[in-house]
Amino acid sequence: MEPPEDSRLPLDAAEKIILRWDSTASEEARERMIFESDRQEVDRYLQAVDEIQRSLSSTTLSGDESQSANKVNSTIQIAMARLEDEFRNILLSHTSPIEADSLTTTSAEPGSSTHSPAASPSTELDDLVDDHFGEEDHPDNSGRSSYRSTSSIREVDLVPFDAILDLRSIADRMISAGYLRECIQVYGSVRKSAVDASFRRLGVEKLSIGDIQRLEWEQLEVKIRRWIRAAKVSVRVLFASEKKLCEQIFEGVGTAVDDACFMETVKGPAIQLFNFAEAISISRRSPEKLFKILDLHDALMDLIPDIDVVFESKSSESIRIQAAEILSRLAEAARGTLSEFENAVLREPSKVPVPGGTIHPLTRYVMNYISLISDYKQTLNELIVSKPSAGSRYSGDPTTPDMEFAELEEKTPLALHLIWVIVILQFNLEGKSKHYKDTSLAHLFMMNNVHYIVQKVKGSSELREMIGDDYLKKLTGKLRQAATNYQRATWVSVLYCLRDEGLHVSGSFSSGVSKSALRERFKSFNAMFEEVHRTQATWLVPDTQLREELRISISEKLIPAYRSFLGRFRIHIESGKHPENYIKYSVEDLEIAVLDFFEGYPVSLHLRRRSQ
Amino acid sequence: MRAADSQGSFLNRISIRRNQVVSMDGNHEQDLEDLELFQKHVADRFSDLLSSSSEDAADALLSISWLRKLVDVFLCCEAEFKAILVMGRDPSQISKPSVDRLVPEYFDRVLKALDVCNAVSHGLESVRHYQKLTEIAITALEHRPIGDGQQPQAAERTWSFGRRSAVNRDRAAAGQFRSLSWNMAKGWSASKQIQAMSTNLVAPRGGESSGLASPVYVMSTVTVFVMWALVAAIPCQERNGLPTYFPVPRQLVWAQPMIALQEKIAEEWKKKKEKNRLAGLLEETQRLERLGQSLIEFADSFQFPGETERLEEVAAQVAELAETCKKMEEGLVPLQQQIRELFHKLVKSRTEVLELLDQSGKLSASTM
Repeated sequence: MEPPEDSRLPLDAAEKIILRWDSTASEEARERMIFESDRQEVDRYLQAVDEIQRSLSSTTLSGDESQSANKVNSTIQIAMARLEDEFRNILLSHTSPIEADSLTTTSAEPGSSTHSPAASPSTELDDLVDDHFGEEDHPDNSGRSSYRSTSSIREVDLVPFDAILDLRSIADRMISAGYLRECIQVYGSVRKSAVDASFRRLGVEKLSIGDIQRLEWEQLEVKIRRWIRAAKVSVRVLFASEKKLCEQIFEGVGTAVDDACFMETVKGPAIQLFNFAEAISISRRSPEKLFKILDLHDALMDLIPDIDVVFESKSSESIRIQAAEILSRLAEAARGTLSEFENAVLREPSKVPVPGGTIHPLTRYVMNYISLISDYKQTLNELIVSKPSAGSRYSGDPTTPDMEFAELEEKTPLALHLIWVIVILQFNLEGKSKHYKDTSLAHLFMMNNVHYIVQKVKGSSELREMIGDDYLKKLTGKLRQAATNYQRATWVSVLYCLRDEGLHVSGSFSSGVSKSALRERFKSFNAMFEEVHRTQATWLVPDTQLREELRISISEKLIPAYRSFLGRFRIHIESGKHPENYIKYSVEDLEIAVLDFFEGYPVSLHLRRRSQ
Repeated sequence: MRAADSQGSFLNRISIRRNQVVSMDGNHEQDLEDLELFQKHVADRFSDLLSSSSEDAADALLSISWLRKLVDVFLCCEAEFKAILVMGRDPSQISKPSVDRLVPEYFDRVLKALDVCNAVSHGLESVRHYQKLTEIAITALEHRPIGDGQQPQAAERTWSFGRRSAVNRDRAAAGQFRSLSWNMAKGWSASKQIQAMSTNLVAPRGGESSGLASPVYVMSTVTVFVMWALVAAIPCQERNGLPTYFPVPRQLVWAQPMIALQEKIAEEWKKKKEKNRLAGLLEETQRLERLGQSLIEFADSFQFPGETERLEEVAAQVAELAETCKKMEEGLVPLQQQIRELFHKLVKSRTEVLELLDQSGKLSASTM
């Protein structure tokens, strides 16, 4: 903007002003700063610079190489050096890391921040920090949705408006005098250290890939949580605000200067920030990592639109690319981890039978794990796109179960994976059940565990919806089969003692009952029952209802059979010697004894016997 | 492609397949063939690097364009190595000692290399910074009319001002490596990292040398060498104590070119004194340092008006500085991109191979 002719400074007056402020020439010039003096001084200086500039361009145009031209040349250099110092000084005096509790700046006029809400800056930052920090306080389940919340960039005024005007007026002049690079350098170096300081406050750590591989997963989980919080504030507030500052100072001054300054300031910190997420995405797959990796994935996915906005210029392309790369690696990591989980379930090698045939820790772990997976189904449905690599029916590989997915065609890949996990869990359990010496116990074990699976599926509506009622029916069928197998294995031989055949003797003199055979029968029954009772009292069916049902089922077969046996044949025993050796138990005794079954405690039958 | 060529490669493919079909457990022969080919390629590629470094000024040892070639060579070797690891090889046939020790060790080295890549990327940023500061200094030197003889006072003032600012800039430029805030983790050290990567780098002997042991050794050696060269060239966090001895047996034929290169670079490294090594052996930064130093000396001792030849010499040096900066401007960004690509390749290979071995149930859970 050209001032009218008469208010322009004469050239030598302008030169004098510049020389007066030459810090290499005078002590006073070194000790004071122009922009900290009164406004008049500032205006005078800037006017002087403008005048020198004007005469410089006219001498350049005319090709004048005379003494005055040289003088102008050197004067402009002095002025630029001075302006650079002033620029640095203004920046430094208004630079402090973002505070969580209060803002240092802010005489921001409402109109100056075009993007942020009109609320007063300090509460604005409080709110927004709370928003970001507060999200983490939700327990896992309800907090899930927060990672997919809509984004919000909130720029904060880092430097007061009048300082910005001053900076702008300096930048303008430096750049039109051809001192663009110097300007960018100064700006970058001051702002970069401000960003570094803010990073430290946010707890962004510098960790190498090696460091991260060495940390225990529990420690990493904490760091991931912290990183998610810090990354959101960094991208949405810190970087966005730096960008705005660059725009405020440099927009329209030369081409893409604001971009260059912005990159100069934030490129290093941004890379440092993303390196952490990258290192996590590279770490070895291990089932327990799945959920935190999904959290990280979702948080980054949420941030990408903001990253794309904040880093939209061509020169910041590499940052956008890196963020996208990391996101896809995290997705790969999630997929790989799920695979790893399936592998681990299939090959879990423990052979020590669980005492009492109760629920195996593997069953609990797997069912809890897939319940949690169903919580994350929104993300996982997007990530998991291929079917599980099940063994084929014809592979003949005895170490992997078969599964046909044909009948499960409408299911999402994720649901197929969950069903597959249950299949391989059962397969593994069946292998484990073979380590029980007692086949009855093996069946009981399977019954317990399949029952647990069924209960877990029924207990989670998401899981149930994914697994589907068809497969649930199959599982229930298996459960019943196991129960039936148990009963057969244990009770067939016991009840065999109470059969009719072989007791009746038809002879010429008396058709009746063989007393000796009968005595044998009673003795066998007693011995067998005692043995079964003693053993199976220590077995455990943890689920109350299942336990009841099983006991009732046993009673339904045992009690009537014994009652009828007693009824028909006791006479023959009671008419002989020492009936108490043979008829040891009443029906009620047996009924009470059945109640001991599957409690998991050793008991002695003798204590239970009612006195005859 | 000429008919003869395609026929030749077709026959090659046939013969390989025949080998695989006929000798079911004669995979040993195939292994040897693969290994020999791999070693030959490694030797050829590094031989190229060695000869280009001495013949061609444009590709001087440890210049940006030479480093770009180096990274390319590494990528080729890595691709070939990965093919050896996973293709045409039944994972369940991989011997137990290989799987238990060699492969995890190799990937441990790869992990360390990833950190080196990151450190080198940061280092390249600081080199760019140095270049930009130098460019500012050059502007200060170029635009000051010197010795036009017209009006001594004015000219002198211009010149003295110009040289002061240039000197300050240049000192700032060179000194920045000392005060640069390093971006890697606290306590991370490039030289320690290279040392750690070199441990257990032992050539497989006799009976061990079948199966995977030899290709893994070859690739490990290549990896350590390339990372070492990058660290020597580019300023990165903590390079004091960078080992200069390379634990590769001299009699290994395929390693000769690499060993020769290593000796050349080690010589350069030893020549520079400790305090001067901060800026790295990168040919361009060396040049900037040298020229900058000479110009500072000139500026400090300058008496106005200067002798013409001296002034001409200075002008030539400034021009050379500008030329070097231009090369850096053109070459640094592509080099950074290549390092990033290298990073990706290494991550990808590691993930894929480890998954493959995991699935065939080979790796124990304790592997990192």
